[in-house]
Amino acid sequence: MTPFLRRQRALADFTLAALARRKGKNIALIAVYSVVVFVLASAMFFAASLRFETTTVLEGAPEITVQKITLGRQDLIEGSVADEIAAIRGLTEAHPRLWGYYYDRINGANYTVMVPDDPEMMPDPGQIAIGEGIPRARGLEWAGAPVFLSRYEGDLKKFDVARTFSRDSALMTSDLMLMNEADFRDFFDIPEGRYTDVVARVRNPNEVATIVQKGSNALPQMRFVTRADIARTYQKLFDWREGLLTALAFAGILAFVIFAAEKASGLSAEEAREIGILKAVGWNTRDVIAMKMWEGGLISLAAFLIGTVAGFAHVFFFGAPLFAPILKGWAVIYPDFPLSPHVDGLQLLTLALLTTLPYIAATVVPIWRTASADPDAVMR
Amino acid sequence: MITLQSVTKTYNAGRPNAVTALDGIDLSIEGRAVTVLKGPSGSGKSSLLSVVACMARPSTGRVSLDGEVVSGLPEHFQTELRRVRFGFIFQRFNLVRGLTVLENVMLPAAPLGKPFAELRARAMDRIEALGLGPRAQTRIERLSGGEAQRAAIARALINDPPILIADEPTANLDSALSETFLQIVAEEKARGRTVIMSSHDPRVWGADCVDRVVSMRDGRIEDAPVQQEPQP
Repeated sequence: MTPFLRRQRALADFTLAALARRKGKNIALIAVYSVVVFVLASAMFFAASLRFETTTVLEGAPEITVQKITLGRQDLIEGSVADEIAAIRGLTEAHPRLWGYYYDRINGANYTVMVPDDPEMMPDPGQIAIGEGIPRARGLEWAGAPVFLSRYEGDLKKFDVARTFSRDSALMTSDLMLMNEADFRDFFDIPEGRYTDVVARVRNPNEVATIVQKGSNALPQMRFVTRADIARTYQKLFDWREGLLTALAFAGILAFVIFAAEKASGLSAEEAREIGILKAVGWNTRDVIAMKMWEGGLISLAAFLIGTVAGFAHVFFFGAPLFAPILKGWAVIYPDFPLSPHVDGLQLLTLALLTTLPYIAATVVPIWRTASADPDAVMR
Repeated sequence: MITLQSVTKTYNAGRPNAVTALDGIDLSIEGRAVTVLKGPSGSGKSSLLSVVACMARPSTGRVSLDGEVVSGLPEHFQTELRRVRFGFIFQRFNLVRGLTVLENVMLPAAPLGKPFAELRARAMDRIEALGLGPRAQTRIERLSGGEAQRAAIARALINDPPILIADEPTANLDSALSETFLQIVAEEKARGRTVIMSSHDPRVWGADCVDRVVSMRDGRIEDAPVQQEPQP
């Protein structure tokens, strides 16, 4: 072992003894610190996993969506447009879709109502397929219970539930309601031959931009939205929501740093005396700071590990009950789905830097001020 | 040889509560001898010891050690001097609470980067030599006054410094323990160590091992110090 390592070992030994001497105070400090790390870690893990889930789910979505714009707003589109779009070179298929939102006056929630493309998923007349959030929001107590929908006062339409989507796809299906085309047109009063939009698939995903350009030239009154645009919208939404939580967590960190700096700058008489003793017996400023770095490092490491593991468990084992309403929610229906653990090294490094460095800096700087004074002055 | 030339020390200089603890001290302290600073409380004894031991810088004047001016050295070198040249025994011992006797004694040697086993063995030698062997693993706060002082002496000697400084070493000890302490001082002097003490205890000034007594009052050397013959 080199003299440097032996010196570090001696300093670490002293640090451990110092930590053990102020056990109660240090446990309280680590507990508060761990909570701050936990909040930040949960927000980061959760948002990153949501982004990952969204990307995964969108992988199966069509590359291009075409909407008709009238007076700057989305309007119903004629079914014949799908044939014109399908004629654009590079597209494998294009078909019109029927979908919209239903405001449930019973619980104030919005559902996404769609007519499925896949005939196998098409419910029979009078039936619907629903996401797991709808019976939860409606308080339906048994599987298969009928759902009554009302468009206005005095109106009531009964649907039988043909199936409920699993929680695995809840991020996209939680508030989804699939309906037969005839029921949809009847319920929302949509005339025959008119649709919400048209979706198209391309042969070569690298040519999406070219195809969109061609389509925009051929059909200037239509808006072409790509899958990447949708992904970006989700990304921004989650970034914004994560930002909210991160801002809250930062406020927590800031408060903690101020607390740490306050505590460290107002060193107790006992702590200041101890630094004076160490200096008097031959420790230089660097030794004292190194010892305090060890102390700060050990406290930070403990809090980082506890907070990170707790955050991981909170998000991936317990479904983030504390943050789900902020990060996952649309209206009053919050998807209830298990997130796949998705953590990368950069994320952990960012978390470590955001949480440990401010604390170490906040504690070491005031100690440095004390330790650089003459031992006699410190002990007085 | 330690020399002080026109040394002053003012605490809180420039403020309304400024206190001049040392006021133009000129003093030479012989090596391998025992020197005692005597005087009432507030006469500047402790401040003088702090300045000599590089624990406080003089406001003006200079302190030399074996001909080399040490009072203006950068902090790093002063620390080195405190670690290698001086062993300091504080009036209230200033041991670190919560640590054992052994850990306290090892403290000055910890930053040297020596192997742990070597440090431990050296510390145990000192502790056993002072009769504290059975208490080596005892926490400081559980020691009696005499034991705490012996622990403080062991700590001061761990790096084998040529100069031992003790501030009011018998102030918290009864007569028997004071005698024991003076016996230790005599032994250290016999080993060739320079000992400088402050005390207002007549038993200390009158001890056989003491070579020189310097009287202080109001931050000044009160009278021309009487040089006694160093004992063989």
